[in-house]
Amino acid sequence: MESWKRSPLVFAILALPATFWLVVFFLLPLGFVWILSFGEKTSLVDVEITWTLANYWRALDTIYLEIIWKSVWISALATLLCLAVAYPIAFLISFLSPRMKLLMLMAIIMPFWINMLIRTYALIAVLRRNGYVNFIAEWLWNKANLVLSAVGLGEYHLLGEKFEPLPLIYNNFSLMVGLVYVFLPFMVLPLYATIERLDKSYLEASLDLGASQFRTFVSVTLPLTMPGVVSGVILVFIPCLGSFLIPDLLGGTNAQMIGNVITRQFKQANDWPFGSALSFLLMYVTFGALALRAFFAARGARRTEE
Amino acid sequence: MSDTTPAAKAVHREKSGDARVAQETTAIVRPAAVSSPARTSRHRDPVGPLEFHRRKWLWAIFGMTIVLLYAPILSLMAFSFNNSKRNIVWQGFTTDYYVRAWNNASLFEAFTNSLTIAIIATVISTVIGATVAVMLWRFRFPFKAPYEGLMALPIVVPEICMGVAMLTFFNTIHWPSGGAWPLNLSAIIIAHVAFCFPFVAIVVRARLAGFNRELEEASRDLGASEWQTFRYVIVPFLKPGLVAGALLAFTLSLDDFVITFFTAGPDAITFPVKIYSMVRFSVTPEVNAASTVLILITVIATIFAVRLQAPSKAVE
Amino acid sequence: MKRRKPLVPTSRRGFLAGTGLAAMCLTFGSKYAFSEEEKALTFYNWDTYIGPDTLSDFEEATGISVKMDLFGDNDELFAKLRNAKNGYDVIVPSSDFVERMVAADMLMPLDHDKIPNMANIQKRFLEVDFDPGRKYSLPYMWGTIGIGYNKEEVEGTPDSWEILLASDKYADRIALLGDAQHVLQIALKYLGYSLHSTDPKQIKEAEDLIIAQKKNIKVFADDNGQDLLASGEVALVQEWNGDILQVMAEDENLGYSLAKEGGLLWEDCLAIPKNAPHPDNAHKFINFLNEPEVNAAIAEAIQFGTPNEAALKLLPDSYTKNPVIFPSEEALKNYESAKYLGEEATKLYDEAWTRIKAA
Repeated sequence: MESWKRSPLVFAILALPATFWLVVFFLLPLGFVWILSFGEKTSLVDVEITWTLANYWRALDTIYLEIIWKSVWISALATLLCLAVAYPIAFLISFLSPRMKLLMLMAIIMPFWINMLIRTYALIAVLRRNGYVNFIAEWLWNKANLVLSAVGLGEYHLLGEKFEPLPLIYNNFSLMVGLVYVFLPFMVLPLYATIERLDKSYLEASLDLGASQFRTFVSVTLPLTMPGVVSGVILVFIPCLGSFLIPDLLGGTNAQMIGNVITRQFKQANDWPFGSALSFLLMYVTFGALALRAFFAARGARRTEE
Repeated sequence: MSDTTPAAKAVHREKSGDARVAQETTAIVRPAAVSSPARTSRHRDPVGPLEFHRRKWLWAIFGMTIVLLYAPILSLMAFSFNNSKRNIVWQGFTTDYYVRAWNNASLFEAFTNSLTIAIIATVISTVIGATVAVMLWRFRFPFKAPYEGLMALPIVVPEICMGVAMLTFFNTIHWPSGGAWPLNLSAIIIAHVAFCFPFVAIVVRARLAGFNRELEEASRDLGASEWQTFRYVIVPFLKPGLVAGALLAFTLSLDDFVITFFTAGPDAITFPVKIYSMVRFSVTPEVNAASTVLILITVIATIFAVRLQAPSKAVE
Repeated sequence: MKRRKPLVPTSRRGFLAGTGLAAMCLTFGSKYAFSEEEKALTFYNWDTYIGPDTLSDFEEATGISVKMDLFGDNDELFAKLRNAKNGYDVIVPSSDFVERMVAADMLMPLDHDKIPNMANIQKRFLEVDFDPGRKYSLPYMWGTIGIGYNKEEVEGTPDSWEILLASDKYADRIALLGDAQHVLQIALKYLGYSLHSTDPKQIKEAEDLIIAQKKNIKVFADDNGQDLLASGEVALVQEWNGDILQVMAEDENLGYSLAKEGGLLWEDCLAIPKNAPHPDNAHKFINFLNEPEVNAAIAEAIQFGTPNEAALKLLPDSYTKNPVIFPSEEALKNYESAKYLGEEATKLYDEAWTRIKAA
């Protein structure tokens, strides 16, 4: 890595577009919201910036902290599930012929260009009481009953009097399914980008040296593809944390994530300062987690140098 | 050698033979070549240790995921022909709703807007994201770590917070919201680029991490200028990362609802926002019809893009 | 010697042409923004809340083309209107939001002289306490929030909120509306309080009632309660009368009834935002919507109650005698209409709702 002073012109050209956009169209607007979080509502639409900490005090109330904690849990679980599903898929695709690679990658990515709202409603059609899964389940139930009566156990109603549809929607299950369904490609793409350029001769070498597939995976593949894994985890966990549409549409009465609370502040509750305080609180928490990760990464890098 | 690969993660190992390997066993073209040359007879050969594309359980996972991904989509498309105002029960076949959607001027306009925004935003974000990724990979400079942190901010910020920030910002500086197309979409495009390019940067950086610096040095030694090195050495290597990043940016932009909702004015409605307002009451087959059309266009466009890519694929 | 191609074309002609084009775009753009009363109108309305031909008929009659945008709830409308240059000419807020918007100085006073068809509106809708003298709004449609139910699954006719709020007879087969106000309102009514209550103790009682009942509630459905009923996902919903009526038309096993403890009597109104670009056209439009034939056509299509007396005379019995649209005075006894309760109360309701959903 060279110092920027060696080619300042190149450095400037490369750095300028992103820096400009970041500062003017991102940091500046955020600054406005940050200032807003210190404001007080003076009327229905006016806010006066009194530099009060009242909004933050309110945001630190146990109820909101509990909701944030719950959101963290849900996001972590969804991220893990995404990783578990995406890794084998990305792995498989990277071993295919170039043509098949692109085809299969497209096959995975394609659903995600469709509007999320539509997909969520379509997901409802699959999961709901009279949806496809239950349709198939009922069919299976009937067939099983036929078999049972053929064997003479019909009267005992071993499978119950009536077919009870599986409760697959408006609960935490559907929330998980929805989150994984929506965020899967954000995990597949960076994983694929990293696994694809992995030099397979490393794997061959490891196997030749006598390591099992599992050992190879844990000690060679995983560490080498770690940048991709980390990228994927970041790309999924953090937006998951702030999501509100999916809990709103697919979750049951218990599915309230911090995103829902914040959204409500900007809409129904009409309390923009408080909403700003809440979102900044969430940001501080996530930024803290990122800093922690960077700290450990730096420690790990230093250790490998020794 | 037997095909007993232990599960490395919490994945289900499907023992059923429903994942038949349906493709040729092509040799993986790498300098340190793996043992198996191209052969046409498949099932008699034991699966090589690195022939992951022949592992049934991997294909099983893949297959199941594909099924689960597409089932809702297919049902969506099927119900676009449903002869009922509501989407719930099947009541007969009709193509009425396609006609309705076609004649729905505002839906059409919303769709065109979304596509325009997505294309422009993708181009801009890919350029910005790639340049900053290269810059971060190549140079060290004071305050680099905080800069990288700042670069990650657009991903950290909850969408709603960013939406509100954009709204306040454009309001305060009196950004012109009217105007001829596509200028009236400028606010939305700007907002989209702002949250898309860090994603592109991450993907490109992940790709760059595997770039051999010696190639760059070699190119320099051979007399190439900065620009030539960039264009003929770095960019080709980056291509998969660029494509992946661009795809990601396109997806994010096309699908975005929250940020667009706040930055869109009355005459700059996008598809997701339009769908949301239509779908609040119930999903009518008209929405399904419009979505099906969008899906078909996406598929066609993608096939087109793949065809365009085909010649350069041989190098990989 | 290497010849380098310039990175950016720097022909002067190209640069001048580009600037000229940009300048032209800006001029024409601003021209559209400032022109007065061109033959256009932007209408911000609820979904499925207008007749199929109303807008085209208006264009035929006056030459003014209408662009209709849709919003999902009053809060969305309010958020959009916070931006003074929102560009809308006619909006459809609910009664309590009219009050709220007036307090926030978002509405333009109506010029009643420009709306002669006002005379067609029933007297009781012209004397309301949320907009005295109908200075800022005119009624559009009205109705109730009650209980939609599946006749096959539910015994008898549900006539009390108890079955939704305090009984586990139909556990997991119940859906309530999805926002703080409407859910707490019926809880308050069930407990015998007014739905205008701002007493923290009463609100807490209502909150506890809902939390206790949560295990029996399947989902808080924002707008698609009628879909859930129609698809069999739930057997009992708290919903708007018109929505239930729409699904009743497709399935005769569904019914609608009012609760004896009372509930919300809602009214949606037509209003003009303060900085509407086409106020004149807006008045013409509102007047048009109150013409008997036009109004009758809308009412017939959307099956909500119209306050337009002249239109009622043109409508068939199947509409005017429909108890779901026009309940008896007796049934409406305990029903109250919505009022704006102030920002403090809004905060109380919202916090209660946060606690309900987190419990």
